[in-house]
Amino acid sequence: MLKEPILKVENLVKLFGTFQALDSISFSIPRGKIIGLLGPNGAGKTTTINILLGITLQNSGSIKYFGKNFSENRQFCLQKINFTSSFNTLQSRISVRENLIVFAHLYEVTNPEKKIKELTSYFEIEDLINQKFNDLSAGQKTRVNITKALINDPEIILMDEPTASLDPDIADKTLSLIEDLKKDKKLSILYTSHNMSEVTRICDQVIFLDRGKIVAQDTPLGLTKRIQKSQLRLTFDGNKNKLEKYLNSQKLHFSFAKNNVVVVNTPEKQIPKIIFGIANEGIWITDIEIKKPTLEDFFLQMARGKNVD
Amino acid sequence: MSTDRIKAILLSEFFITKRSLEVIMDLFFFSLMATIVFGFVSVFLASSIDSTAAHYLFLGIILMEVIRVTQYSISVSALWEVWSRNLSNVFITPLSLKEYLFALFLSGAAKSLLTFTAISLISTLIFKFNIFSACFHNLALYFVNLTIFSWSIGLFILGFIFRFGTRIQALAWGLIFLVQPLTAAFFPVNILPSPLQVIAYSLPPTYIFEAARGNLENPSVNWNLIGMAAALNIFYFALALWFFNIMFKKSKQTGQFAKLEG
Repeated sequence: MLKEPILKVENLVKLFGTFQALDSISFSIPRGKIIGLLGPNGAGKTTTINILLGITLQNSGSIKYFGKNFSENRQFCLQKINFTSSFNTLQSRISVRENLIVFAHLYEVTNPEKKIKELTSYFEIEDLINQKFNDLSAGQKTRVNITKALINDPEIILMDEPTASLDPDIADKTLSLIEDLKKDKKLSILYTSHNMSEVTRICDQVIFLDRGKIVAQDTPLGLTKRIQKSQLRLTFDGNKNKLEKYLNSQKLHFSFAKNNVVVVNTPEKQIPKIIFGIANEGIWITDIEIKKPTLEDFFLQMARGKNVD
Repeated sequence: MSTDRIKAILLSEFFITKRSLEVIMDLFFFSLMATIVFGFVSVFLASSIDSTAAHYLFLGIILMEVIRVTQYSISVSALWEVWSRNLSNVFITPLSLKEYLFALFLSGAAKSLLTFTAISLISTLIFKFNIFSACFHNLALYFVNLTIFSWSIGLFILGFIFRFGTRIQALAWGLIFLVQPLTAAFFPVNILPSPLQVIAYSLPPTYIFEAARGNLENPSVNWNLIGMAAALNIFYFALALWFFNIMFKKSKQTGQFAKLEG
């Protein structure tokens, strides 16, 4: 039996005046999966999240959480959803504990004090509980934001660039935290980020948006495989003209980074043949570097309008 | 409506008020200072010119604070969330608009009642102006009517802020000063030029100030004036709710709601 997805979006359209922010997008999020929402600035990621949270209204299309229509079951759905973003903070004037108490009551948590104690212990922020939110560091604020996002035991969390503005160490800890949440609590997460390596690390699937349309949807590995060419960087000791002549004879795309360094763009499976061929020409290869395509390469190519299929 | 969610907004209001010197200054300190300054002005007027004018002035100040504090509380509460970038977090919970507004109305009324009681006691104890001589039921009718009017004004301002963003946030503490002369808070309505009298009589507080001034001589309830104020209040409150709903929905349609936090 097919399991009902946690979130199902069908033909979502959003117009701001004459500008089409979303052009009939459809996707779904299965239980316990992390789905990345990627795209260049203005692609429609934030608009999608705002509509999914009910703070922006769509022109048409349907959103179903847990099999129920969102607009007709707003309170039921919001009780099981939460959100965290580096761009939204909690009430800065009041303490962490006061903020969490307010949100515990907003979600009608049965025993707020117990829940707060349990979560602050899980995230190791007990010592921050009486500090004003405004006085916390960026990393501490992120942890408190994620604590808030779990106060209602949600089944799905929407995360809008949760690691933006964090230093690499804290960002790494935050990602580990998200990975643990997925594992421990079987959470579904919709995740936006401009950091491709973290998307590759934590997302099961990636939806690529461009100018309001879904232009690609696959696993991070699947998307990178769509870029067929790897980059072969060879340092050599020998005749540059001879090498150039050989590469031209093989009809390869290449450029010289230095007098003794050549960069060849080629399908990965051709690499051994090229290396042997160069060696057979009597050119001594002193260093080999192969750069496989990454999600960032895919992102850049898509954002620059190059077809990668 | 969920009492837990209403409690959440009330708690948030309490925590912010407790921790923000600005709110304490704007709500309680300004009311206190206005009472003290106008108390002395009234003492001076009573001793040198006319005690009636002095009492009108003092009465106007005390009652105007009910409008100012309630309206400020409603309008600025949303701004605190916007300034903290927390408004979206609040509105992505199951909190309904009804619950949110109801909590703001309660919070505004509570702050206003506290302020009203405090400045009334100060006026009685220090300046020998006993507003309590107007009888409890009169005071209750003034308070309820002025509070409902303030809710309406607060809703209009809140609607504008949700729809057009923080660039018009100054309305939250500035608009009330337009209401002050137009409702003849400190003087009889007939002092105003005729066109302004028409405007004055279209506003509920005008009738309350008139009734309160009358009660300085005669403590019996002037049901005609109170009735007019109540009828106008029902009209304005319904209009404000309708306007706020339209603005709130428009704000979500245009994406302004999400942009409120920058």
